[in-house]
Amino acid sequence: MNPGDVVLDPAAAHPELTTLRDALARRDWWGCRAVLDGATPGARSGLLHWAAEEEIGDFAQAVWEADARDNTAAALLGLRLIHTGWEIRSAARAQYVSRDQFERFHDYLRRAEAVLIDATARQPRDPALWVARLLTARGLSVGQAETRRRYDRLAAADPHHLPGQLQYLQSLCPKWGGSWERLHSWARESMLAAPPGALQGRLVAEAHVEHMIGLEQTDPAAYLTDATVREELYEAAHRSVWHPDFRREPGWVGAASTFAMVFAVGRDHAASAPLFAMLGDLAAEHPWRYLEDDVVSTIKRYRRAALASGAVR
Amino acid sequence: MIARSEIGGVPVLHGPTTGPARAGLVFRVGMADEPMTRRGITHLVEHLALSPLGLADFHYNGSTGTQFTSFHMTGTPDELAGFVDGVCAALHDLPLHRLDTERDILRAEAHSRSHSAHEPLALWRHGARDHGVLAYPEWGLAAITPDDLRYWVARYFTRDNAVLWVAGDQVPVGIRLPLPGGTRQPSPAQSSALPVTPACFAGPDGVVGWSAVVGAGPAAVVFADVLERTMFRTLRQEAGLSYAANTNYHPMGTGTALVTALADCLPDKQGAVLGGFVDELAALRVGRIDPADVQAVIRKRHEAMLLAEQQGDRLPEQARALLAGRDIPPIEAELAALAAVTPDDVTALAQQAYATGLLMTPPETTGTWAGFTAAPTASETVVTGTPYASLEEPGTHLIVAADGVSLAGDDRRATVRFDDCAIVRAWPHGARMLIGHDGVVVNIEPTLYRDGHHAVAWIDTHCPPALRVDEAARDPRAIPRPEPEPVAHSRVAPAVEPERRQIRATSVLMTIFLISGVIRGIIAVRDEFSEDGPIAGLLTAGVVIAVIGGSLLWRYRGRFLA
Repeated sequence: MNPGDVVLDPAAAHPELTTLRDALARRDWWGCRAVLDGATPGARSGLLHWAAEEEIGDFAQAVWEADARDNTAAALLGLRLIHTGWEIRSAARAQYVSRDQFERFHDYLRRAEAVLIDATARQPRDPALWVARLLTARGLSVGQAETRRRYDRLAAADPHHLPGQLQYLQSLCPKWGGSWERLHSWARESMLAAPPGALQGRLVAEAHVEHMIGLEQTDPAAYLTDATVREELYEAAHRSVWHPDFRREPGWVGAASTFAMVFAVGRDHAASAPLFAMLGDLAAEHPWRYLEDDVVSTIKRYRRAALASGAVR
Repeated sequence: MIARSEIGGVPVLHGPTTGPARAGLVFRVGMADEPMTRRGITHLVEHLALSPLGLADFHYNGSTGTQFTSFHMTGTPDELAGFVDGVCAALHDLPLHRLDTERDILRAEAHSRSHSAHEPLALWRHGARDHGVLAYPEWGLAAITPDDLRYWVARYFTRDNAVLWVAGDQVPVGIRLPLPGGTRQPSPAQSSALPVTPACFAGPDGVVGWSAVVGAGPAAVVFADVLERTMFRTLRQEAGLSYAANTNYHPMGTGTALVTALADCLPDKQGAVLGGFVDELAALRVGRIDPADVQAVIRKRHEAMLLAEQQGDRLPEQARALLAGRDIPPIEAELAALAAVTPDDVTALAQQAYATGLLMTPPETTGTWAGFTAAPTASETVVTGTPYASLEEPGTHLIVAADGVSLAGDDRRATVRFDDCAIVRAWPHGARMLIGHDGVVVNIEPTLYRDGHHAVAWIDTHCPPALRVDEAARDPRAIPRPEPEPVAHSRVAPAVEPERRQIRATSVLMTIFLISGVIRGIIAVRDEFSEDGPIAGLLTAGVVIAVIGGSLLWRYRGRFLA
């Protein structure tokens, strides 16, 4: 196999996203709902997340105003406002974000939160709403206790909701007021709580990526080659991407891509090559973007190195 | 069945009881009627009127509330008659030889009193006036003269401003109620210190509080009960975040009521209790109400009302209602109105309550993320006058003008204008504490300003004398001395300055805090009309948390910070 390009568009693995985009482009809310309502809870949250990043103008606002009781519309509007706010803030570290940027960012998040408070009050068992409220929790700095409460509400609605777990994982990082110890123990517990072969092994890999980046070492590979870290990554891979029950369900590209990255960066080609092979030309932007801005070139480079080692099993 | 009659021009409410006979004489006067300069006068009258009874061998007591003052007892018909008539006689012939002793007793009582989380809610909603004054210590005690007492009694403790209730077989035949005539006093104003609602402020440690002004009536009662039920279920039973979660319904005047909610929380769970409370309130506001909850609280209220009717326990509230100008319908009508409350009514009430709400968040949390507007912690303007430089804080000035005083610095702005001032507390060494009706405080220690004594002299000649309350001399060791910043370091060591300033600010606040005991932090759910006990979970931390929490509160609030 000699994959050429790198395809980051999630629609490549999830054709329903194309249907959703078409419906959004037509401003066809019932077309959108048909796609979203037919998806599993986790896939629905993922689709809503991607939809909010589309060029949808004030469509979400208009749909929500037409019926504020529509929790799917509330989730899309909430996520849209959060996305717009975060674009204003940028992904830069806090010290590089201006006061004006922060004020506008917070203003958007408060508007999102107002929509989401009402929506979760009406429909407390819609996980997509709680995923969005985990994002506002972080941006509005409501603190660890309140973020945990929101996560618990999410878990009550859907116990293994990966899109929300990935957001909560961020809040457990020291950069958002958490600690490495709690992050790793939570990631492992969440993985073990989910059925074998589920996507949740990714949480352990993501936690190690965050830890690696957070240490700001000149050679990030050093962290990943540590024996304990590698052991935990293997355990997680065996529980998910390498497990016989691992399915190409929504979110599988993100899981395989993250594991491919941690093994590739850790120079474990024997482990990364089969994952690259499984992905073909598919990849997810996160967490590769942590390494370099040019995600495509970065993936190509690591993939070439892994596959060249001839370690495909 | 409640029977209404009249004795000596005083309306009398009489009903049966299953227990021993009781009676209460209630007047429409309370703390909310007191000017800050005479804060404590109603309580002092209550004590003086009861002092001739001494160690009587029957159970009697008095209570001074926000809007009502009551003298009540349990005993034989003869004892009841002797008690109420004795109180009437004593009120209009106060044993003034006991004035100083009773003042001391009140100070001792204040010292041992636990403080309620309702107090900061009242202060931030109303400021230093009417319903807000209950948050302040009895700072007027030292200034109260015999003439003041006579004026107060003649205005408020009259037969036209009183109602007697009697629970027992009959109204004792000997009662005469010798009270002079007067006029029925209207309910105290309900001032607002909040430019916008829903509003929020950072309160003491360990508790999330909330209050709202709503239309009085059974729907509001049911709303308060449903809110308590859902808070208890989600915050305590499901999430294990709180031990105590209570609400309270408190009639104010004729047509409105104050609904309050309090939930305690552990230090590391405060944000979650806040978030959980916001969500519960939202659920009621959008109408996600379990009809079974509404039915359950109606049933409990129904049973409680029937029991209270049998025991004569509704009489005190009915006496207060009569004095406030409200109807007291027969119990059948009240039960029917209660039974008619629907989930939609509760939703409507929740929307009304949300709009007028005031949220008290734990220190270092805020309700702004949830759409609450932060209540002002600084004055909008400063006066134009003579500046006096702080000897401690470069850039901070005390500004003294013909119309008021301001404290202005880099991160603070506090102004009290003489025509909007509630009290000027004055100490012999020159310290002054001015409190505006909006609750803003300007605290002046003349030793801490260049020519500070000139500033104080100017204030003394320009502020209305009636606002002044003279305090006893302070221990000379407690008079602060400036700690001037070494010139060489004033610019090059900015990191040191805020820290030292913080210590000073905290120490000043601690002084206010400890002297006044405004919020001593042992937060108990205490209300004049409820029998709720203290929040047990909070008491273990005791005074240590209280002092830390209190100092944080005052440090972050700004109203007292100046």
